[in-house]
Amino acid sequence: MFELIGISPTLLFGQLLIGLINGVFYAMMSLGVAIIFGMLRIGNFVHGAQYMLGAFGAWYLLHLPDFFPGLGLPSLGYWWALAIVPFFVALIGAGMERLFIRRVYDLEHAYGLLLTVGLAMVIEGLFNVAYGAGGQQYAIPDSLKGGVNLGFMFLPIYRLWVIVAGILVCFATWFVIERTKLGAYLRAATENPDLVRAFGINVPRMLMLTYAFGVGLAGLAGVMAAPIYQVSPQMGQAFIITIFAVVVIGGMGSIFGAIATGLMLGLIEGLTKVFWPQAAATVIFVIMAIVLVLRPAGLFGKETVAYHGSDISAARPGSILENGRLWLIVFAVAGTILPFFVYPVFGMKILCLALFACAYNLIFGYVGLLAFGHAAFYGASAYVAAHSAAVLGLPTELAILSGVAMATAIGALFGWLAIRRQGLYFAMITLALAQIVYFYAIQASWTHGEDGIQSVPRGRLFGLVDLNDTMNMYFFVLAVFLIGFAAIYRIVRSPFGQVLKSIRENEQRAVSLGYSTDRFKLIAFTLSAGLAGLAGGTKAIVFQIASLADLYFMTSADALLMTLIGGVGTLLGPVVGAIVVVTMQTQFATLGAWVIVVQGSTFVLCVLFLRKGIVGTFEDFLASREERRRRQAAKVEPAASAGLSAKGLHG
Amino acid sequence: MSAAPAADDWIVEASGLSKRFSGFAAVSDVDLQVRRHSIHALIGPNGAGKTTVFNLITKFLAPSAGRILYNGEDITGESPARVARRGIVRSFQISAIFPRMSVADNVRIALQRPLGTSFHFWKSQCTLDSLRQRVDELLDAVGLVDQREQPAAGLPYGRKRALEFATTLALQPELMLLDEPTSGLGHEDVDRIAELIRKVSANRTILMVEHNLSVVARLADTITVLARGRVLAEGPYDRISADPRVIEAYIGGADDQRA
Repeated sequence: MFELIGISPTLLFGQLLIGLINGVFYAMMSLGVAIIFGMLRIGNFVHGAQYMLGAFGAWYLLHLPDFFPGLGLPSLGYWWALAIVPFFVALIGAGMERLFIRRVYDLEHAYGLLLTVGLAMVIEGLFNVAYGAGGQQYAIPDSLKGGVNLGFMFLPIYRLWVIVAGILVCFATWFVIERTKLGAYLRAATENPDLVRAFGINVPRMLMLTYAFGVGLAGLAGVMAAPIYQVSPQMGQAFIITIFAVVVIGGMGSIFGAIATGLMLGLIEGLTKVFWPQAAATVIFVIMAIVLVLRPAGLFGKETVAYHGSDISAARPGSILENGRLWLIVFAVAGTILPFFVYPVFGMKILCLALFACAYNLIFGYVGLLAFGHAAFYGASAYVAAHSAAVLGLPTELAILSGVAMATAIGALFGWLAIRRQGLYFAMITLALAQIVYFYAIQASWTHGEDGIQSVPRGRLFGLVDLNDTMNMYFFVLAVFLIGFAAIYRIVRSPFGQVLKSIRENEQRAVSLGYSTDRFKLIAFTLSAGLAGLAGGTKAIVFQIASLADLYFMTSADALLMTLIGGVGTLLGPVVGAIVVVTMQTQFATLGAWVIVVQGSTFVLCVLFLRKGIVGTFEDFLASREERRRRQAAKVEPAASAGLSAKGLHG
Repeated sequence: MSAAPAADDWIVEASGLSKRFSGFAAVSDVDLQVRRHSIHALIGPNGAGKTTVFNLITKFLAPSAGRILYNGEDITGESPARVARRGIVRSFQISAIFPRMSVADNVRIALQRPLGTSFHFWKSQCTLDSLRQRVDELLDAVGLVDQREQPAAGLPYGRKRALEFATTLALQPELMLLDEPTSGLGHEDVDRIAELIRKVSANRTILMVEHNLSVVARLADTITVLARGRVLAEGPYDRISADPRVIEAYIGGADDQRA
């Protein structure tokens, strides 16, 4: 019967089994993420790294004698790992909560996400330094070797074990949280920490234990995954994005939803592998998009209408640092001098990334939406511009414009899908949507997979100026940057920009004044995407390449990092941030694998100590100086008038 | 009041309005009719559902059941922003201002909407300078014109409420919904706001939630008393204040909450 439609039962059931296994891991992981998200309001991006720690923990235990040859330690096998490692990973989680996560509970959601992104980069980077990108093998334990022949397929015992044990763990967790007193306390503590504290419960410790528990689940999943997947530093990196998508599909605040959705999506992914293998990598993200249209709150989520943007702008209205006309001139002059002091290529890299960061700042800083998928616009534009120039033979300016058009179109689509959600959800959704573009570029033929589009001709600008000349190219890029910068300045200071500002500061009030805020946000998002595309397209021409790295989520993280280092919501912040980040990347290029660790640490340090960024911190300094001067100037007069009034009273 | 008025006398007619939050009925089967150009107060003990009714009328919440007519048109399915553009503008219990914008810009943001250029991201905001005179008039009405350049966040609480009032007024709403306009204010500010409400109520309808009964007595033409999500009584102040059920609800209701 199956042969009739050209699918062999072995293939079908084999893929369904793999799908179910993946589903169990999705369920266990998204359960942890959902618990941490629901109870702590932290988008635990480091969950993937913690899962990787679990797998490596199991591998370490197995190789104890090799690591400490002198101590005569035994090699601890799978069952030991299963008992010990989750506990240790949970302990590490508790430590991370105590040292880092705890500090951002009361801050805007953006910081929690940034912090965990940074921590993930540090952990994965360190393992990458130690073990390289290659994977380690972990053998299936003897007691679970072999399999059962079911007639239509061969079922390995280990996989059966993973499915049964994983599902049991998930439901036990669900039971504890939804049906026991401990779980009730937990849920109460997240609703109203002060009240629960009044009951005599130590809320900070409870939150720490909750985080540790979620992380422990990731560690457990890691141990169980070790014999199935390769144990490698990157094993959790892309995984976590899928998990975020699963959480979005399942719906906010639903523990059961996370479990059921995880299992279901694993199966759907398996089926997709059978019927349409090319789509398997993106099917979960596409489902997420569809669910967002049909049921914005997720399959099992409750309807929530929350008007809450994040106003984390570090700008001070009226400051000289916000005077765009002045700085446009400064940049024009400085940009003209720059190539005579530094390599023009270095300058062009800064200009491209500065424009990218400025575009990102438009949505994150000025609208308060934590977008985390701008790599899609930057990269898509790079690919389209490169393809237009290299294959279609379009002139340079049209190639870049076609890139911008593509980025704008994708931006409008993604924005339309994501705009109704806010905060962390918005970040997760944009991140997951961007992955669709990334996976598309891996598989489409015109994008040339891992190679990307290379040797893109720079061509002649308007058929006249030869851009192969480095100086010509440089000044073209400078012009593009200045146009982009001026455009953003104008957008921010337009009637439209005024409404954006009001949305950022109090969206609910903006709605009550009659503004359909979603439409404003969508337009801003689309503009931001188009400008990010301008940066990406220009970059493809300058460096004559469009590659997967442009589309990878780390590029989105770079945009965030540049904006954060410089100062969110400030005019100059993204430019300053781009200078710092590009300089750092160039300086540390010799460090090789350490670059990621350094970058991750920068993230963490910025979130902990430099939340206002360089420009924002400088702005504070200016403000306090101004205040001091005003007070000094005022000191003389009030003293005099106080004397007068005292006299008047007595007289 | 007993004679049935013509249908077009009502600016708002809500019928069978209900809202349930996962099992809990915050508002059930409320009928509310607001007469054009009147001041109508909603009162009731805490948790009676007053703010929920507000949220339902302004569409910040979707009703579980019921129908809302505004000027005879069904607005039950409309978005909050659309309802606001129809002329129903609300205030909030906690002062709703744009804290980092200047006092003048707070008002201007409301004034700029009728210009129809709010989506024009390519225009300079200097095009909004023409609104300046109108901004100053509105600020003058609430006594804030001297603070026009200050960031709104720096104003004292009472002045923030005054700013919010000016912003709401800027839209020239046909129906103004005020959610506890005098809560948290000192005596002086209460009088000022009450006087303002009376002043702006000419040619306008006002529906307000108010705890301060002396303000209600002073201003309201009609009072609807809500208790436990239902309409308990309706009428002018004299009749309401003498109604034994209302007294019972206020005193009994308070006991319930402590229990």
